[in-house]
Amino acid sequence: MSELDDFKATYFDECTELLSELEEQFAAIEAGERDAGRLNAVFRAIHSIKGGAGAFGFTALVEFAHAYETLLDFVRDGRVELSDEVVTLCIRANDIVADHVNAARVAEALPGDYGAHEKSRFDALCQDEASGVAGPDEDGPIEDFDIDFTPVAVNLETMDSFEDSPLPQDAGVWEIRFTPHQALYARANDPLLLLRELAALGEISVRPVIADIPTLSEFEPFGVYCSWEITLVSQTATQEQIREVFEFVEGDCDISIAQLGAGGPVPLSPGESQAQETDRLDGSLADLLTLADDEIEAAPLDLRESQEEELSDAGFAELAAAMTTPDPAPPAAGEASSPPIASAPAMPASPGSEEASRVGVQSIRVDLEKVDRVVNMVGELVITQSMLTQQMDETLRARYTELVRGLEVLAQTTRGLQDSVMAIRAQPVKSVFSRMPRLVRELAAKTGKTIRLETIGENTEIDKTIIEQLSDPLTHMIRNSADHGIETPEKRAAAGKPKTGTIRLSAEQAGGNILIVIEDDGGGINREKVLQVARDKGIVAPDTQLTDEQIDQLIFAPGFSTADAVSDISGRGVGMDVVLSNIKKIGGSVHVRSWPGRGTRMTLRLPLTLAVLDVMLVRVSGSPYVVPLSSIVETIQCSRAPFERVPSGGRVLQVRGEYVQVVDLAQRFGMPSNAEPDARFVVLCEAEGETKIALVVDDIIGQQQVVIKSLEENFERVEGIAGGTILGDGNVALIVDVQGLRANLHHKNAA
Amino acid sequence: MSGLRVLTVDDSRTILAMLHHTLSNAGFQVLQAEDGRQGLEVLKTQPVDVIITDINMPIMDGIEFIKTVRASGQYQSLPILILTTETSQDKRDQGKAAGGTGWIVKPFDPEKLISVIHRVVH
Repeated sequence: MSELDDFKATYFDECTELLSELEEQFAAIEAGERDAGRLNAVFRAIHSIKGGAGAFGFTALVEFAHAYETLLDFVRDGRVELSDEVVTLCIRANDIVADHVNAARVAEALPGDYGAHEKSRFDALCQDEASGVAGPDEDGPIEDFDIDFTPVAVNLETMDSFEDSPLPQDAGVWEIRFTPHQALYARANDPLLLLRELAALGEISVRPVIADIPTLSEFEPFGVYCSWEITLVSQTATQEQIREVFEFVEGDCDISIAQLGAGGPVPLSPGESQAQETDRLDGSLADLLTLADDEIEAAPLDLRESQEEELSDAGFAELAAAMTTPDPAPPAAGEASSPPIASAPAMPASPGSEEASRVGVQSIRVDLEKVDRVVNMVGELVITQSMLTQQMDETLRARYTELVRGLEVLAQTTRGLQDSVMAIRAQPVKSVFSRMPRLVRELAAKTGKTIRLETIGENTEIDKTIIEQLSDPLTHMIRNSADHGIETPEKRAAAGKPKTGTIRLSAEQAGGNILIVIEDDGGGINREKVLQVARDKGIVAPDTQLTDEQIDQLIFAPGFSTADAVSDISGRGVGMDVVLSNIKKIGGSVHVRSWPGRGTRMTLRLPLTLAVLDVMLVRVSGSPYVVPLSSIVETIQCSRAPFERVPSGGRVLQVRGEYVQVVDLAQRFGMPSNAEPDARFVVLCEAEGETKIALVVDDIIGQQQVVIKSLEENFERVEGIAGGTILGDGNVALIVDVQGLRANLHHKNAA
Repeated sequence: MSGLRVLTVDDSRTILAMLHHTLSNAGFQVLQAEDGRQGLEVLKTQPVDVIITDINMPIMDGIEFIKTVRASGQYQSLPILILTTETSQDKRDQGKAAGGTGWIVKPFDPEKLISVIHRVVH
């Protein structure tokens, strides 16, 4: 059934959110924030997971969640203390719930005793504190759940069963006496509806009992004076069914149910037996009853045939008329708590529109594909707009001022539109970060280390596509930190460090980039060993001298791994080079910095969005190239650039006392440059790690925005080129890979 | 019975989706809110014939929501059904004391759900 699959998909989506909420809450709880709000949030999350699981019949999940929820309820109201031990148990329980959810998702059964140990600990904890007290809901046994529930289309026609219930031939006869209290009306229950439901059980006749109605002078308009005697004739109705009709009003009325010829009345609630005379009926109430009759005209019973119809006395006729307009309810309403009927919520005159039913929803779920389509079109729009702006030369500007103004407004609006569209795709990095605590716990357990994970800035927003691509690299880097970075507790103690190692995962926005930093307070990178391995593997030429920083970066070199024995955690043959290539694929870069004995910091620099890039358009050998604006520090005319020759034959540029490597793009890409050397420009770019690179180009054309197109998808990977783009005039421009050029520089030096 | 407006209030999207499916198939118009406060917002702008609300919710829970609705004066005769797995007399009493008209036990059976609604609304 496809609806069921849809519901399941919704449920699993929701579970993913709830589980990450749990991670988040417990991270704070572990850090000592044990307030009621968090505990309530945790309780609700487990409660919701259980609720949905019940609907789909995920019995194992329901049972585990139920036991866990019971413990949480005890913790919530203080019956069980939230000790560190209980926190640890809960965190473990969250993982088990997650496993159950996953098992349900892929329709695989977990071992029957999965989580049994934790479950027995829940039970033990709750038993100790309050033996004999049932679970949070006092739900009773789980088996009570109607777990075979299958959402089905409900056909209302068949629901109005009283419409076609046959008149029983030799039916049971029930006498029901029903005296509502004011509370019944205060809670918006309606005797007419109860009678109607009763009518669905069989044939009924209703006699109002009006003995308590005072004289007009004492009559209170909203007083409750009326009760009813009902005779129900039904072959099949049971006492349970009759009681069920009055289920909601139990305590808010006096009711007695008796089967004729089967002993005395069965009182449902304390209250004196109603012994009113039925022959004192007033005509006005008969009128009321007639109205009630209209309401239940579908019932087999025609009330007009009943004896009350014959009675007539106009005593309350006017009152009745007033009370039955516009809503033909029985004389109801509590004195203080019920409003005049006239102010009852108006029934909709006509069915509202679809949009109306959407009001109140604070968010909508949209297919990502649709958003992407909008993003792409906005991208193209941005380009068309910049193309139009480009076409405006001075003559045109002077001649068509109105047009120019319009284009300026268009540029502004386009920019705003683009920002808004990007914001739709932006999501907090929380969704990735929240998967990491479990990873760290598992790594700690596997390696026998004690590791604490700190997360900072998890609400930082970034493009959804980037977030999706972030999970693997982050996982790998954290594995690396836990496996290679953090030392064993003994080693740490010997080095005078706290036994518990810390991995800090943080995210922040820095200009047009998002920085994600993974820091650990472990041993740092063993540079000697790294250099040795790099030389052994031929990654670095034997006689090359590298700076410490350059050595650190070697861990991202393809095929590099320093672990003597490949551990099953981080050394899977694919190493940090995969991290680098994944991050590059989403337009980011990685930089590592290490302090021996103190730790390692890996910084991921990611673009805010993948779709559009602010660039500087330059010309090299007559072809357009673009350089990401975010990496440009400044531009200098070659005639004023203080170049210096170095002994190896290369050129460097001296910028404020710093020597910067110079890359002539024409030379680098093997093309002749016929530009006058002094007329050329230097584009000073900042690469990762605050190091710079000076690109020499023939000319600077201007700034604009471009939509990035993958070169690998459309052509093939080219060293030094990060991608391509189509310019407003239809030409293709290549995007210079600043980081790649710099990395390549090292290789060249090394070779 | 079609055209009746049901306001469903639950912090679980799954439950909201199921209610929406069941209720719209039965010809109801379904309004949705994810917590009590959102529920009150809907009530401000939309006529509603019956409310189905969860108890355990963030921001404003079901009990407070019911109390607020009942206290508003305008909705004293609006039927409110409590939707909860919590079948304990305790929760039910709380819900009723707050002004709840009746209750529905999760996981709900679609037919039962519809019949319970008809028990409290014209």
